[in-house]
Amino acid sequence: MTEFYIDAIAALILFAVGLYGVTSKSDFLKIFFSLEMLLNAVILLLASGAYHFGLTRDLAIAYVIIVIATFEAAAGVLIFILTNRITGEIIPDHLDKVVEDE
Amino acid sequence: MSVLILAMVIILAVMSLAQTKTVPAVLAFISMMFLLGIYYILLDEKLLGLFQIFVYTGGIVVLTLFGVTVIGSKFPEFKIRPWAVAIVTVVLIGLMIVPFLIPVEAVHQTISLQQQVKVFTDNYSLIAVFMGVVAASVLYGSIRMLHTLKYGKE
Repeated sequence: MTEFYIDAIAALILFAVGLYGVTSKSDFLKIFFSLEMLLNAVILLLASGAYHFGLTRDLAIAYVIIVIATFEAAAGVLIFILTNRITGEIIPDHLDKVVEDE
Repeated sequence: MSVLILAMVIILAVMSLAQTKTVPAVLAFISMMFLLGIYYILLDEKLLGLFQIFVYTGGIVVLTLFGVTVIGSKFPEFKIRPWAVAIVTVVLIGLMIVPFLIPVEAVHQTISLQQQVKVFTDNYSLIAVFMGVVAASVLYGSIRMLHTLKYGKE
């Protein structure tokens, strides 16, 4: 039980680091890292639950999350590169200026 | 051992966000994902650990490196939003209280690889297809959005 709580607390801290990154950083690459951290915190918690309590469905959800993360990574890099082409920067806040200019 | 790996994971996660140069940030991110994969293997979830290493350390990091080649070696300057710290503190405290309030009973049961694959194919393979359709829609929407940003409304 203690081991599960250690995993749970580590997952929560990882989730908090990711959440901080998503809310405070303003360039696409670090936001992308932070999103992956959020997903990995959830996967860590699910894997730990599966190991300690025998919850097999948890692992299946973890695989689905990895599939979603792959799609998200592909879409994220696409947006990241196209934004860089259009604005010359990788800061999402500056996309508003492009809309205003148009 | 597990505490050491998890501590390293958190330190590397913070490092990847705190770096001002892109390549060390990506290296910290790779190491974090690799250590998580190793940890899953230690937890006896070999398939999940290998998935983690192949998908994250292999695939996603290559995509990220492709992005790094676009932006160069340094992150751009930005201003930190102060309310982010407040939000994270509130959410973290809230989330840390919840697991201790829920009573759980230990079962201690090892799951074989065949069982894992069977549960996935029986229950969640259709969801994977559905999520693929959703992801394709998001991808199409993103392309349309960027097209609109570039050329304006048609």
